[in-house]
Amino acid sequence: MPEGEVMETPHIPAIDAELALAEVRARRAEVVDANLVPRWFWPSVGVLMLMFVAAVESGRPWAVATGSVFYAIGLATLIVAVVRHTRVQVRNELIGLRGGLAIAAFAVVLAGIGVGLGLTLEALAVPAPATIACAPVAAGLAFGGPALMAYLRRVMMSRPLAGSR
Amino acid sequence: MTVEARFDELIHAPTRLSIVSLLTATEWAEFKFLRDQVGLTDSALSKQLTTLEEAGYVEIRKSFIGKRPRTSVRLSAHGQQAFAGHVAALQEIVARSGLAVMPSAQT
Repeated sequence: MPEGEVMETPHIPAIDAELALAEVRARRAEVVDANLVPRWFWPSVGVLMLMFVAAVESGRPWAVATGSVFYAIGLATLIVAVVRHTRVQVRNELIGLRGGLAIAAFAVVLAGIGVGLGLTLEALAVPAPATIACAPVAAGLAFGGPALMAYLRRVMMSRPLAGSR
Repeated sequence: MTVEARFDELIHAPTRLSIVSLLTATEWAEFKFLRDQVGLTDSALSKQLTTLEEAGYVEIRKSFIGKRPRTSVRLSAHGQQAFAGHVAALQEIVARSGLAVMPSAQT
């Protein structure tokens, strides 16, 4: 068939048009859901990070070496699993500035909490300050990650169906 | 951006509407992803994609990941424009009728 048979005055029932629009929305939801980072990723990264920091802070060479290797392998495995899970790349315009800012804010807040708390604990001479400071960051990842994904989903589903990219 | 409402018979066919709706939300989509989501056989999907490609609505890219062939599809700029016009036409039809049986979305 040549380029779309374009009609200026379509003769289809309104209910069919509404159902077609519903199909467009449903298909977008499928793409968005296929693209979101799965829930298990966030607590897994949090646990890995906590173990790594604890291993490094222990100062024992064998713990540092084992922890580093375990962290590297674990993180690589998680990333490969997520990449395999993600079979499609959502259009960047759907995430947009709001989505990008939310991701950046999430990262900055968690890093700020970790660094700020770690330095404070160190100044107070609390033992294992980095490990203790990492705990709320890991919790933030575990609980905040899925919340961030839920927010991004809302943002992407609220974009116009077409026409304003 | 204002979009001119233009009903497009080629896009409106149910299977192609599903395919184009998936593509409009993606940068690139793998052939297998489209096949699984729409529930078509490889040959049926190829046929639909060829129709869309001939109309200039999609671009098909074939590559190899190692020794495995991978086919990816994206909506062309022309396809995006046609889809936007089609959605606007559908919205006009619904708006004219005053029908709202589905949850409204920002469209």
